[in-house]
Amino acid sequence: MTTALIVLPLAGALLVWLLPWSRFWAGSVALLVALVEVGLWINTLVGFDFDAEGLQHAQRVTWLADLDVSYHVGLFGFSLWLAGLTVVVMAAAIAYAFWAGRDRPRSYFGLMLFLTGAIVGVFSAQDLLLFYAFFEAMLIPLYVLVGVWGGPGRIGATLKFVIYTMAGSLLMLAAIVVYGLSEGTFDLVKAGTSGSTWLFLGFVAAFAVKAPLFPLHGWLPDAYRESPSEVSAVLSGVVSKAAVYGLLRIAIAKFPEPAQELRVPILLLAASGLVYGSLLAFRATDFRGVVAYSSLAQMGLITMGLFALNDPGFDGAILQSVAHGLISATLFLLAGSIERRAATGELPRLGGLAKGRPALATLLMTTGVIALAVPGSASFAGEFLILVGVFERGWGWAVVGVVAIVLAAMYMLRLISAVLHERRGRAVTEDALDLRPAELAIVIPLVACLLVLSAWPAGITERSFAGGPDDPRAAVAGRDDGWTGYAPLEEDEP
Amino acid sequence: MTTAAWICLLSPLAGAVAITLLGTRIPRREAGYLATLSVAVSAVAAAVAFFAALGRGGEEREAETTAWTWLTAGELDFGLTLLVDPLSILMMLIVAGVGSLIVGYSIGYMDGDDEERRFFVYMALFVFSMLLLVLAGNFLILLAGWGLVGLCSYLLIGFHHERPSAIAAAKKAFVMNAVGDAAMALALFLLIYESGTLDYLRSFERVGELGSTTATLVALGLLGGAVAKSAQIPLHTWLPDAMEGPTPVSALIHAATMVTAGVYLIVRTHPIFEASVGIQELAAGLGAITLLVAGLIALVQTDIKRVIAYSTMSQIGYMFLGAGIGAYANGMFHLMTHAFFKALLFLGAGIVIHALVGEQDIRKMGGLRGLMPKTFVAMLIGAGALAALPPLSGFFSKDSILASALAREDGFGYVLYAVGLAGALLTAMYTFRMIFVVFLGEPSAFVREHHHAHQGKEGPFSMTAPVAVLAVLAVIGGWIQIAGTGWHPLADFLDPVVAVEREHLALVEPTVTQDYVTAALSVALSLAGIALAWLIYGARRREAPRQPFLQRVLERKFYCDEAYDFAFYRPAAATARGWTRWIEGPLIGGSIAGLAGGTRELGRGLSEAQTGFLRTYALAIASGLAVLALVFVSVRL
Repeated sequence: MTTALIVLPLAGALLVWLLPWSRFWAGSVALLVALVEVGLWINTLVGFDFDAEGLQHAQRVTWLADLDVSYHVGLFGFSLWLAGLTVVVMAAAIAYAFWAGRDRPRSYFGLMLFLTGAIVGVFSAQDLLLFYAFFEAMLIPLYVLVGVWGGPGRIGATLKFVIYTMAGSLLMLAAIVVYGLSEGTFDLVKAGTSGSTWLFLGFVAAFAVKAPLFPLHGWLPDAYRESPSEVSAVLSGVVSKAAVYGLLRIAIAKFPEPAQELRVPILLLAASGLVYGSLLAFRATDFRGVVAYSSLAQMGLITMGLFALNDPGFDGAILQSVAHGLISATLFLLAGSIERRAATGELPRLGGLAKGRPALATLLMTTGVIALAVPGSASFAGEFLILVGVFERGWGWAVVGVVAIVLAAMYMLRLISAVLHERRGRAVTEDALDLRPAELAIVIPLVACLLVLSAWPAGITERSFAGGPDDPRAAVAGRDDGWTGYAPLEEDEP
Repeated sequence: MTTAAWICLLSPLAGAVAITLLGTRIPRREAGYLATLSVAVSAVAAAVAFFAALGRGGEEREAETTAWTWLTAGELDFGLTLLVDPLSILMMLIVAGVGSLIVGYSIGYMDGDDEERRFFVYMALFVFSMLLLVLAGNFLILLAGWGLVGLCSYLLIGFHHERPSAIAAAKKAFVMNAVGDAAMALALFLLIYESGTLDYLRSFERVGELGSTTATLVALGLLGGAVAKSAQIPLHTWLPDAMEGPTPVSALIHAATMVTAGVYLIVRTHPIFEASVGIQELAAGLGAITLLVAGLIALVQTDIKRVIAYSTMSQIGYMFLGAGIGAYANGMFHLMTHAFFKALLFLGAGIVIHALVGEQDIRKMGGLRGLMPKTFVAMLIGAGALAALPPLSGFFSKDSILASALAREDGFGYVLYAVGLAGALLTAMYTFRMIFVVFLGEPSAFVREHHHAHQGKEGPFSMTAPVAVLAVLAVIGGWIQIAGTGWHPLADFLDPVVAVEREHLALVEPTVTQDYVTAALSVALSLAGIALAWLIYGARRREAPRQPFLQRVLERKFYCDEAYDFAFYRPAAATARGWTRWIEGPLIGGSIAGLAGGTRELGRGLSEAQTGFLRTYALAIASGLAVLALVFVSVRL
């Protein structure tokens, strides 16, 4: 089942790329494959036993017996949710590209499908070399997608992106080789935990670049600004979550002691990123800049949740990853739609778009208020849990977190009113259209997912971690800080 | 009872969703009817819940109901839980009852506006959020409702979003409330950490185990949220600006319901406040300061809605005072009567504004009594109730709070009492200043030119009917509880929820003498205030004696906006600007540029090794081999 989730988009990519489809048919076939992939994921979800410990839908084929390298894939609860985020956002992105009519459609859609398969692969790989292969495979289509289809500054953006990512990845490769050889296996399920700080840092470097974590985010503003908007949506919505998964599945689960020891410096970086990103988002002068820096802030927050190293932190980080993925994908797609209408994303030249464009106004407003974590929304639930988690590590972390939430309100409201409200901007013409039916069909499902998640965030938090030896929570179960859990509830409760 | 509560909660949500989904397929006016209907269903359901509760014994009037588990984390779980008890039933009645009147009024008020459907969606959504707030059975759902009412308030203040001032006011309201939410969230983190639960009933049971430091910090955080939501000092500056919203919004959100949520919160969580050290007194003190300061500022305001807005701040100050000294039932009593007479005043002002094509400056008004006699009567009733004149509702509720302060019989109580009495004088003064300036005298030039009657009447039925109902309620609403006579059904109804359990904090009931003294003093002061207002503004409409310095300070609202701008906004903006310029550009962006440049230089240097001469390559290979051989040999040995 897991293999099908990986192979289907890869096969689809070959199909789209190699056969001489016309523009229309290339897009249609790619969209069909992406939708079938969503269906396949739903099918997996329905058959998933969230109470069972350990991997599910696992498949293992030995590859290099000597080094114990294998094709080993499978899903945990939390990987299932991240894979779900991937297939949904990728389907929306492919549909958006189809609607926007990207040039050279066969290569474009082929690369998008290839990217889908690679990301799903990252979220399901249980062998380190396989994980590395998928992790790097993500880079290839992204490199081309940004470098060929991007905006005027695309070459510089691509270069930065690739250099940063490669630097992180090489450190990870070294760490993988040393760790795999010393454990005698590259299989994540079989390999034991390690106490090596250097190996831990090697992994963290790769993920910190990918997330990105402050101050390794130099590639982010340019990449998010220059990419086609649906690629930005994928980059910030989905690709960044590969870092969350990697931190959780490898860095924390396999290196619990270094994770404990280096908790405070990492929390410090994450918290700095949170505040830094929030303040820069407040000063950013264009739509995508605000969303880009808010993504930096959100990834800082999610990392804080992970390195709280406790249940609320983990649950909150997964919930927030899914929520943020949907939010920032939606916002980037809307940014793309607005840029198509106004030919610019510069905030001073936008404004007044709400008048007479109810669909655009409603969707941007809804997504925006969920993004600023209005209490009662999915992202509020995620942030709340993350901060409950870090509060246990010291109240100061939670104070930083709530300050950032106030800042989030400031930059998001600024974005919303700069785009939708006040006087009509110079770049906005009177007859700029409301969202077209095709755009609605793409964006509304994403917003609907967010609303469902807001009504029932426990749907994810109850179903992310089932326990068992492979559960990342098991690795950090022994607490070193004398904290003995929540005060027990009275027994006589009904 | 619980079924009725669920219907009460969900009906406005269903209304909002239906209008959104129907879009342009539903005519504008029908959207208003649908919204009103959905809120009216809530009101009926609230009444059903009320009578169901009355039919039960005191202990059985409390019911918890959980729809589903909203959020979990490890061993923590937070349900989508409602708690139906006398306190929430009272709030349901006020919110849904007054809400349906005001939403109905909006049908007439918003008639002809561009985006009526959006307005009614927001209004219905607000009623849902407010009901979620008052019905929540745990702190997390409370916080959800708390945030959602703030969101609706933002949307409705900024309803006319092409006006920059409206958008600025909306953002200000949201951000100030976000500060309050943040304080509350911190309190909840601490509560979770210490008690492992956010359910009201479970956490109140465990208040004793918390320790006074924890309880104090939790109470402080909750108070922060309450102060922001209820526009009490020091988080009060958003409320006057919020008057940018349409008048029904001001009536519903910024007078009758949302802004009183802070009082509700204190009353609801009183076990925590009682376990704290000094936080309850702090609430009372802030209330006292606010009621005085807001009363002073209201004296110089020239916008009719801002006058009423400051009076709202001031009256909520009384409620905080009451809740802060443990007189919960009296605080809730004043919350209820205030909802009636303040909604009445706003809606009456709305009729005036509507008749004067949107003008809100009282200096341009005058002599409206002859043109709008019924509105005048309604406003007079509202003003009388606000100034606490017997037998109008405000008299009974305000005096009961003051008498409770007197009954403390300690220094703090006397100070609060004196402040409260001074506030009574101010209240009467600014209220009747507004009445005299707007309604008495000769019609002003502006009025003669712009006043227009609605089809020969003072307003459409949808506007006048709610005003009439509220006028009746503003008269009789206070009779439900009469101090000094032993008639207090409201306090009895609320008693199971608000009873003070700790002996040393037990509220001392005011004696009959204290009740009568308070009543006499406050009526005398109110009358004196009216007389002063008459002398200055009514009789000859002459200029008030000018006090340049004092007046300027009051007109600038004690410079709070400027102070906050200077203390918070500017440093944050400057930091952001500095970081953008000095860190993001040169360090983060520059490092990669440096790296790229370095790589290029390195490449250029290395490329010089490619000479194209065979001899260079042969030398390189040979030396490489030699080095490798050395390495291997040394490693082997």
